[in-house]
Amino acid sequence: MLRPFTLHRPETAEDACALLATLGEDAAPYAGGTELLLLMKLGLLRPPHLVDVKRIAGFGDIADGPSLTIGATVTHRTLERSPLVRARCPLVASVARHVANVRVRNVGTVGGNLAFADPHSDLATLFLTLDATVELVSPRGRRELSLAEFVRGPWETARRPDELLASVRLSPWPAGTGAAYVKFGVHERPTLGIAVALRLDGAGERTRVADARVAIGCVSPRPMRAEAAEARLNGVAAAELGDVTGVVADAAAESVDPADDLHGSAEYKREMVAVFARRALRVAAARARGVEPAARFPHAVVA
Amino acid sequence: MDGAALVRIRVVVNGSARELEVVPHALLLDVLRDTLDLKGAKRSCDTQVCGACTVLVDGQAVSACTYLAVEADGSSVLTVEGLADGEALDPLQRAFLDAGAVQCGFCTSGMLLTARALLRENAAPSREDVLHYLRGSLCRCTGYRKIVEAILIASGATR
Amino acid sequence: MSARPLRVVGQPVPRVDGLEKVTGRARYVTDLVIPGMAHAKVLRSPYAHARVRKVDVTRARALTGVLAALCGADLTWCEPYYGPAYRDRPVLAIDVARYEGEPVAAVAAVDEATAAAALDLIEVDYEPLSPVITLEEALGPGAPLVHTGKPQAGIFADLSTLRPELGTNICHQFHFARGDSAGALAAADLVLDDTYRFPPVQHYAMEPHAAVAVWSETDGLTIWASSQNPYSVRVELAKMFGVPLARIRVVVPHLGGGFGSKTYAKLEPLAAALARVAGRPVRLAASVAEAFQTVRRCAARVHVRVGFRRDGALVAVECDADYDVGAYADIGPRVVQKGTYTATGPYRVPHVRLDARAVYTNTTPGGAFRGFGVPQLAWALESLFDVAADRLDRDPVELRHQNFLAHGEEFAPGDTPIDGKLEESLSRAAEAIGWTRASAADRGRGVAAMLKASVAPSVSEAIVRLHTDGSVSVLASAVEMGQGTRTVLAQIAAEVLCVPLARVTVVQPDTAVTPYDQTTSSSRSTAMTGRAVQMAAEDVREQLLRVAADALGAQTRDLALEDGAVVAPSRRLAYSEVLSLRFGMSGGELIGRGVVAPGRTAAPLGGSTPFWEMAVGAAEVSVDEETGAVRVERYVSVADVGRAVNPLLLEGQDEGGVVQGLGHTLLEEMLYEDGHLLNGTLLVYRVPRADDAPPALECHFVENADGSGPFGAKGAGEGSLIPVSPAVANALARLTGVRLRDLPLTPERVWRALKAQRNR
Repeated sequence: MLRPFTLHRPETAEDACALLATLGEDAAPYAGGTELLLLMKLGLLRPPHLVDVKRIAGFGDIADGPSLTIGATVTHRTLERSPLVRARCPLVASVARHVANVRVRNVGTVGGNLAFADPHSDLATLFLTLDATVELVSPRGRRELSLAEFVRGPWETARRPDELLASVRLSPWPAGTGAAYVKFGVHERPTLGIAVALRLDGAGERTRVADARVAIGCVSPRPMRAEAAEARLNGVAAAELGDVTGVVADAAAESVDPADDLHGSAEYKREMVAVFARRALRVAAARARGVEPAARFPHAVVA
Repeated sequence: MDGAALVRIRVVVNGSARELEVVPHALLLDVLRDTLDLKGAKRSCDTQVCGACTVLVDGQAVSACTYLAVEADGSSVLTVEGLADGEALDPLQRAFLDAGAVQCGFCTSGMLLTARALLRENAAPSREDVLHYLRGSLCRCTGYRKIVEAILIASGATR
Repeated sequence: MSARPLRVVGQPVPRVDGLEKVTGRARYVTDLVIPGMAHAKVLRSPYAHARVRKVDVTRARALTGVLAALCGADLTWCEPYYGPAYRDRPVLAIDVARYEGEPVAAVAAVDEATAAAALDLIEVDYEPLSPVITLEEALGPGAPLVHTGKPQAGIFADLSTLRPELGTNICHQFHFARGDSAGALAAADLVLDDTYRFPPVQHYAMEPHAAVAVWSETDGLTIWASSQNPYSVRVELAKMFGVPLARIRVVVPHLGGGFGSKTYAKLEPLAAALARVAGRPVRLAASVAEAFQTVRRCAARVHVRVGFRRDGALVAVECDADYDVGAYADIGPRVVQKGTYTATGPYRVPHVRLDARAVYTNTTPGGAFRGFGVPQLAWALESLFDVAADRLDRDPVELRHQNFLAHGEEFAPGDTPIDGKLEESLSRAAEAIGWTRASAADRGRGVAAMLKASVAPSVSEAIVRLHTDGSVSVLASAVEMGQGTRTVLAQIAAEVLCVPLARVTVVQPDTAVTPYDQTTSSSRSTAMTGRAVQMAAEDVREQLLRVAADALGAQTRDLALEDGAVVAPSRRLAYSEVLSLRFGMSGGELIGRGVVAPGRTAAPLGGSTPFWEMAVGAAEVSVDEETGAVRVERYVSVADVGRAVNPLLLEGQDEGGVVQGLGHTLLEEMLYEDGHLLNGTLLVYRVPRADDAPPALECHFVENADGSGPFGAKGAGEGSLIPVSPAVANALARLTGVRLRDLPLTPERVWRALKAQRNR
């Protein structure tokens, strides 16, 4: 049961932002509602005003270009099934397929997910490896932030009260990139999520990792790139990837800042980061070679 | 929409066009159960985890417990009461009965509608596909084996 | 009458309530709309332990639309305490709140929104007290007491059978002994002892508790309740409000799952109290989060010692078990007794000492949950049994065979002898899991067995009515909660009266209409309620035969029932004709009655079990050693059921029992921190999903028609759950060499154990 609120349904971003500016803390932007309405039912939030952003022109679009622009109100399901996303960045579609459950995917939106900034967000973690930037609109105009700048901490973003997240822009990896996203955990929210993308360059024996991205979610206050792990991968010969898996995994494990909670102790999480960094790396490396490896682990999803 | 003011919505529920007046904060589950007397969808976990409240909006499964009724304006909603065509049961309902996939029945409505959405999307699902789709549909009585069997059998019957 | 093959009993007939369930027409308590119904909401204690100095409901009461606002201090006009063992649980907290979530105040209002707003207007002055959360804390010297004062007996026990240790948090003690366990252990060739822990877990019946209560001058109190035992609720309410039993009516529509969570009064007293004050029907429906704060399984710490002879004979078992029964005893003392009674499992053990204690803690009250104390003990004994097998260098299946009680053997003096063939269950389980075949290198197999007594003494009564058109009504108060009892009772009546199943209607449990049944729990409904229905139907059959015999000038022994008619060599009288003859007109009915009431005996628990529930589980597991994640790849359950009245429903029951058992084995645990429940919603309490079920799951049944129930039936439904955790842990131990003693076997726990083993 929800407490009463006034529902506003602006049709332009300007109108929406004007409402947010006027209503301030009394207003909550509302898209799919999978997080917002739940918090309201639990009594943790009681906004007198909801600003529905689903009618805003353009917010539901996915646009192609040098980058892929995903509107804020695109649902996980749309992402999962979009031919454009599958063509430009198939891993985004496969990760979207495994977010929560089918009902949440049908209704929950990309923008809502990123703006909610749950440390367990699969998309936020994956998007960090795609040079993601978010576009924020306000009465003052538009600004663009890197996703890393946007997500500041657990459930905390750089969005100002009168700003709306309008879209997220991804830079799909070039051809020759093998990537994987692996999440592990028993609960509704995973214990960890790791995205690994390896772009290989060169041919034959000279094939090397030209660009490695490793992002880890759930085990730190916010999803983060593991730069030390990336550094251990860049420049490595493809044939030697197996040899560096251990040090990469260790670097990944060292990069996180886990806490003891229901999803595991800090010690366990750190160890699992190492385990799944190795596993994700193996899958990504195989895919970079054009091979789809068999990879199934209990309580894990390999996308 | 003002919190106290009623909003008129037009929804096709189980094939019947309905015009309803709801408050903006009304949840679809309560409107279906209390206003339309369609008691088949149930409130269980109330957190979108269990699926007991599943209904289909324009063919897609949603958690009616966490879905505003006003969002259904202009849409068609399918509840368990709309699965059968008069006396003729949907193949899923038939399959659930024949396979013994119903015990206390509290999850049944949600399971049937989720399966219906799956089969519309994928007429020949593998067992993996079914398990993937059922990730958000809990049952505490059956242990799931007969539910999965029933869905696979129904998919054969439907094809 | 010659034995005729059974026609409908033993058949996998579709359940009689299936159609209404798949079409959404089945009605549960929260689907009922009673005209004028008000809605209740409950204000619950945020503290695990606190003095409740003052509760001020005046502002709530004054809110427009509020029909009643109550706190504990208001309940001067009724007996505010209830409980089956001890009457220790107040309808609303009085002077002290004993667990986080305890109801402290409640309102009834014209709608939910008003009720919620009214709760916000209630002011409570709490003085926090130190809580005891774990068994160690509750039993520690100088521990704060959850209950002070003299305990009052509840509806079942007189105080002479309840043994509290006054001045402590121990509310009951159970002791059982035979022989000289100390001496036998001293002389044993192998002695093992260890301590095992079973966590508090939540039933999560998908329908949370609900009740709608209404008082009227003419009818007294009527309450629609999600209850597994309406007669228990009725007597509780009668005592509470000083109303005769005949003026309290408890009606049970469909239950959305029970598993024990809906036995004995839970929300009904509060709903009734609110309805009395409101002067209107009141619906009180818990959310799932509130169900976590209503009842749970009793957690346990079990210390077992076993002594074996070199040749593998189990000579002695000593057990000290502490059960955490939470803030109120509920049926906890009985759980402790029942669980500990079969602490020795299905084995022959000459020397035994069993001691168990029910301990209060400041947490959600523990009550009945499928298995009723036995899972906790079986977890310990069946695990330690495998350790013994390893030490004796014996095959665990063979060692169990060697020590099993035999068919007809005594379990305890005065109690029913063993009425099944454990060896048959074990052989079939071993065969089905492929025990003697080498398992793959990455798989391990384990077995476990169980034995459980059913509640005794108990009473079940039934009425069968044969109408003039030959259709039949069955009146019995076994509650349909998914297990299929309504179908089974119909099958029994249809079988005895030789009518098609479709001609039999089982009336919903309603204490104004359907006669006394003690409880729908303890796996007893087929054997006990079913037997009462069988007897009632046989009563009707006898009446039919006598009337027909008179009319035909024949002997009843020359007559038989067939297809809705009484048949003689040359004549056939349809039931409608028989009734016509009996009443001399077109009207009337034949009424048959069945009473099953074996009464008290000299058995240790006060009555002889109507049947022994016995079953075996065999698991094949794999483990991801890097993460500790255990996967049950295959599971076989074999239950000795005497006769499967409906094999399809029974198989469904046991598949469900296995998966529910996997819940507490691998996933489920209620986690408390400083008295606060950390995971009281489905977002963070993890129950098995479809992909957690073993890919290969088989449920088998041993049917030797050796039970005292209808057609040789016994009971089932708990036996499939109980062996799961030790079977899985035994499989894990055989695969990895690692032995875990605390449930659930979460990935992290298994990972730690594997790591510790590597570091040794």
